[in-house]
Amino acid sequence: MNAASPILELRGVHKRYGVGGGLMARRRTLTAVAGVSLRVERGEVLGLVGESGCGKSTLARMILGLEAPSEGEVLLDGRPIASLGRLERGRLVQPVFQDPYSSLNPRRDVASIIGLPLIVHGVGTVAERRDAVAEMLGLVGLAPRHAEAFPSQLSGGQRQRVAIARALVLRPTLVVCDEPTSALDVSVQAQILNLLLDLKERLGLSYLFISHNLAVVHMLAGRVAAMYLGRVVEEGEAGRVLGAPQHPYTAALLASALTPDPSLGLPAMRLGTVFPNPLALPSGCAFHPRCPAVFERCAREAPALLPCPGGGRAACHLTGQDQHQAA
Amino acid sequence: MSGAGDIVLDVQNLEVDIPTPGGMLHAVRGVSLTARRGETLCIVGESGCGKSLTSLALMGLLPAIAARRAERLSFAGEDLLRAPASRLRALRGDRMAMIFQDPMTCLNPSLTIGDQLTETFLRHGKGNRRSARDRAVALLERVGIAGAAGRLGQYPHQLSGGLRQRVVIAMALMCGPDLLLADEPTTALDATIQLGILQLLAELQREMRMALVLVTHDLGIVARIADRVAVMYAGEVVEEGSAAVVFDAPRHPYTRGLMDCIPQPGRTPPGTRLGTIPGLVPSLVGDMQGCAFRGRCPHAMPACTEPVAVRGDAEGHAWRCVLPENALERAA
Repeated sequence: MNAASPILELRGVHKRYGVGGGLMARRRTLTAVAGVSLRVERGEVLGLVGESGCGKSTLARMILGLEAPSEGEVLLDGRPIASLGRLERGRLVQPVFQDPYSSLNPRRDVASIIGLPLIVHGVGTVAERRDAVAEMLGLVGLAPRHAEAFPSQLSGGQRQRVAIARALVLRPTLVVCDEPTSALDVSVQAQILNLLLDLKERLGLSYLFISHNLAVVHMLAGRVAAMYLGRVVEEGEAGRVLGAPQHPYTAALLASALTPDPSLGLPAMRLGTVFPNPLALPSGCAFHPRCPAVFERCAREAPALLPCPGGGRAACHLTGQDQHQAA
Repeated sequence: MSGAGDIVLDVQNLEVDIPTPGGMLHAVRGVSLTARRGETLCIVGESGCGKSLTSLALMGLLPAIAARRAERLSFAGEDLLRAPASRLRALRGDRMAMIFQDPMTCLNPSLTIGDQLTETFLRHGKGNRRSARDRAVALLERVGIAGAAGRLGQYPHQLSGGLRQRVVIAMALMCGPDLLLADEPTTALDATIQLGILQLLAELQREMRMALVLVTHDLGIVARIADRVAVMYAGEVVEEGSAAVVFDAPRHPYTRGLMDCIPQPGRTPPGTRLGTIPGLVPSLVGDMQGCAFRGRCPHAMPACTEPVAVRGDAEGHAWRCVLPENALERAA
């Protein structure tokens, strides 16, 4: 372990896919992730927000080693992910996915689902593995009797607890949570969020927490990054990003989060609804066709991700000019 | 204020039973609701609370296995319980319309959206092909779809999720319904797209003076769009009232618990734990005595095992709980 290096570092990561192509059609390139650089420090929660199709799940897949970047580097614990073996990688980073109905093997009982990573990694004896599974069950708030249950016998919240136990049984340092509560009811979501907070404190975990729900991100994350069409458009300390967003897109995301306050009506939304075609990205700033603060320079020139007042970085020509309350 | 003539939908003591191998499942248990013209009623609750079955029962669209009973189910003064199937078919899609959660599964992938938009209009004899087409174009434009005329020949897979849901809304409005029932219409969509759809529904509801019944699990949506709220738990409406009153002074511990579960930027400081509702929803198979929430309720007492009467005040706030009225009040 290298205590000085961040647990996760992304350096100029790109991911391109070839799509279409055939007898007559030309093969085209879809850029899902376009030059993302981010860090997650030890014990930190980085919230990653953005609409569907912005590349946040592709990014997660590269961090988990399920896909290789087309360009750029993913470093886990200071080492390039490509240099790590499958097992080494599995001890550093583990996923929790959105849908606890499809991410658990329906034909295995809970104990063997949670214990499988230990067998794959050849950890401990049969008795030690059984103890480790029992400990994990307690840690995620499941009863010992759940060890013999099958996923179909569990509720959505219990299944997500099993998925979390499976992710933590190898004691990874980083957990990539991809929309872990989106499929759950609000009362169950609250339980799972509380559990993730408890586990982070007890085990000193770091999370990359991917969500479209800004209220959830606000509760969990120390830092937040917003992605739009494969690029990070704003990044910084959570209080600053969600309190005083510098990018019009972040401001629009924030405005569309409906808090349960009946004295507020539906917020006005001046964000265009035309979602751009990722195969034919707009010129200049990719957000400009939907941006309420768009001006002539935006279509011409893509803004760089630069430091902004109050800390963090934002990729907008208006950064620092304090004109984005519009969105 | 609205008078009795404005009541579009009136249902009293609706019950839906589904036979299961383990016994009779009482999925909806004595639900009473009214929806008025020009009003948005939100039915809110978690999975399995019976909110979707309630809306299907209102439309007469329950699966054949489910049995529906009610003391009264009337639509614009007309008794739907005794109406023949042909009359229900004539009303559905014409004067009462429904929008479902997933716009992909309720659009036919092999028909153009033009065909699907005009189908109900023509079926209900509202006009000829030409007027149906004009109406479809006008409505597509109204729901914010640019280049509407050119879209009529497109198939559902050529549209994004947000656009599809706009098409579904336009379809529901083709005949100018008095009642629009929307079951989780934005759950599959991004927050930014969701907001656009909700704004559209709210505008259309005002413009067309419809009664809008919106079924959702999202209290954020309810707070922002509802005139009145019905909170459902385990097949029952446990609390009902104006949105302002229900959110500011909930009288049922379940409503209070739900509200405490939601993280709120600004009010929930980072790192604090959210409120939770311990335990699980009770099984609705077999007969249930007393309050269905008592097993999870922090205020449960012996009286909760007895049948709980609905209490209410003069402002139309009603709740099903034995607690004293101010028991859930909080110091601000």
